[in-house]
Amino acid sequence: MNGQGRDNENKAALSIGAQDPKGIPRRTFIQGLSAIGIGSIFFSTGLAKEAKAQSVSTYIDSLSTKQLRTMYTEMLKIRLWETKIKDLALKGGFRGVAHLYVGEEAIAVGVCSALRRDDYIASTHRGHGHLIAKGGDLNLMLAEITHKATGYCKGYGGSLHITDMGLGILGMNGIVGASHLFGAGAAYGIKVKGADQVVVSFGGDGSIQGSFFTSAANSAAAYKLPWISIIENNQFQIWVRCSDVYGVRDLARRADGYGIEGRVVDGNDVLAVYDAAKYAVEKARAGGGPTVIECKTYRWYDHYGFRGSKIGRDGAFGLGYRSDRELREWMAKDPIPRFRRFLVNEKVLTEELADEIVAEVTKAVEDAAAFAKAQPVPKPEDGLSNVFAEGAVPLHKN
Amino acid sequence: MSKSMSYAILEAIQGEMRRDKLLTLLYEYQQPAARWGNRTINLEKEFGRWRARFSAIDENWIVGGALGMSMIGVRAIAHIPSMTTLIPYELMFNHAGKLRHMTGGQAAFPMVLWADMQGRSPFQAGQHADAGLESCYARLAGLKVVIPSNPYDAKGLMISAIRDVDPVVFCQYPVPASGPDVPDEPYIVPIGQAVVRTQGKDITIVGYARQTLEIAKAVEQLKQRGISAEFIDPRTLAPLEQVMVTIIKSVKKTGKLLTSDDGSYSFCNCTEIIARVAEAVPGVTFKRLAFPDAPPPGAPEMINYMRVSAADIVAAAEKMVRG
Repeated sequence: MNGQGRDNENKAALSIGAQDPKGIPRRTFIQGLSAIGIGSIFFSTGLAKEAKAQSVSTYIDSLSTKQLRTMYTEMLKIRLWETKIKDLALKGGFRGVAHLYVGEEAIAVGVCSALRRDDYIASTHRGHGHLIAKGGDLNLMLAEITHKATGYCKGYGGSLHITDMGLGILGMNGIVGASHLFGAGAAYGIKVKGADQVVVSFGGDGSIQGSFFTSAANSAAAYKLPWISIIENNQFQIWVRCSDVYGVRDLARRADGYGIEGRVVDGNDVLAVYDAAKYAVEKARAGGGPTVIECKTYRWYDHYGFRGSKIGRDGAFGLGYRSDRELREWMAKDPIPRFRRFLVNEKVLTEELADEIVAEVTKAVEDAAAFAKAQPVPKPEDGLSNVFAEGAVPLHKN
Repeated sequence: MSKSMSYAILEAIQGEMRRDKLLTLLYEYQQPAARWGNRTINLEKEFGRWRARFSAIDENWIVGGALGMSMIGVRAIAHIPSMTTLIPYELMFNHAGKLRHMTGGQAAFPMVLWADMQGRSPFQAGQHADAGLESCYARLAGLKVVIPSNPYDAKGLMISAIRDVDPVVFCQYPVPASGPDVPDEPYIVPIGQAVVRTQGKDITIVGYARQTLEIAKAVEQLKQRGISAEFIDPRTLAPLEQVMVTIIKSVKKTGKLLTSDDGSYSFCNCTEIIARVAEAVPGVTFKRLAFPDAPPPGAPEMINYMRVSAADIVAAAEKMVRG
């Protein structure tokens, strides 16, 4: 993929929601729309204005070599750290559970690369990737997912609740959709404080149907909150296929009903995700209000756990609710080699340098596993602490 | 091999769906399909998607939709996942439990809220390992709450719940198969009736769902130590009147009541049972075992220390009997 090719692909990705009329090549169709003032953003409430901003250049042009290399490194960290979790679990004796994010790395990294360190994110049950992309420590994460006393949450939280509040992460959340609500609430708080931070709420395709999303989106729109909702559409709500339970194919279209600009991007293209996120972040910081970005992607593993997977092999096969062929088709769109090819073509990386990064990350993951293994388990009575800020609650057994 | 609780419940629903051609199941992702030996049940296959319909992640639709259809005489079962137990609480509190009363008896909700419940499992932590939320529903007027501890009771109680003309909350905790074999044909376990699992004379022990396994172990150990415990499983938590007849009769005999609950110590269901016994029987010795008033931690070291085990029950019972 060369630079020009990527650029075209990025523009096309931004317009996925459009119904191309038959017989008109997409590129021509987009140009035609630009000519009549619609541009490459659909489902927008301020169409002409944003179209003008977007049709000239993209934010990816200003990414430095260092930033691009960091993005590649972060994606690899997510992939290899989670793959290690899978391998450890399949070996047996793993003290924990996991909802794997593998295949969706481009979203976490694309979005978090567009954020400042003091911006906030609210995450989900599939949140390891978000934490890593926001700067999470692999050692403390592995200690926590195995419920060790020195992990991020001292062993209380584990995979579902693993977080570092110090990195501006408003918690992982095992309850679907809550991330949208808390994110929008935090965005309101930023307005009260008069700060210029923004909040990103991550949620899956299943997270926008409950009332949490409605409450978040409506208030964010009404009060022009600095809130960005990232819908990670990995096609499945546990095993239920999204298209079987929703009347819209492009979920970002729903944003329009709240008065929010909605965009659809290729969630396996880290630069397309970055571009859309950066646009939304800049807009939010400037007081332009919320954006909903739907990232189309695919979950390589089962909703939860390691069914259908093997040590040393990527992906979970034979799951019944999806075909192996569909999985292979999406694995062929693997966001990581795709980005690597781009970086090598753009001379941001050489193959040798890319291999070095893989080796570094592999070592960091091995170190994290060794670190976690050596950590102590919590004391039984610790479970009675941290209920309130002070003291412990009684056991009541005697 | 006996039927699992899930199979027994689906067998109950299958029989009722054959009997009542309108009965409809709304659910989220928990496929209404199960296997037992070479037999399978698949409600979607047998009755079609209109009568067994999965939905988006939307408990308000599942429960609200079931309430709406039940108002026009289409009996419905709303099956919600375990981490969403209280999401439809407002619908059950301000609508399901009140509308009959508010309309002077005109309205009815012949529906079942089939709530998957969580055990106190390690590694889940926080939002996926809580327990005892049935007490939130049991304190709401106008709702019946049942809580089976084995597959036999599950099938009989589900059939009662479906046939009931009032809304019933059916709480399914993950409990391994135990107890009597489950007959293939439909049968009733009446709502509101406790069962004496073990007869005894020295102390009355009350508990339900996963705690019945711990209590059963404890009763055996107590027997070896010369203490004869009477073990009662309430099975229904609302209405409690008939259940209390059984429990009060037992406590009048033993003079001692020990309760064991996976729910939190304060406001657990056993708190209500203790209060009612205290009102009815003078001079009783009480002890309430429950999970501390803390969220469930993930690490096994912590949660195993906090939840009530057979050893805790034995120790408490010995202390109460021997002083």
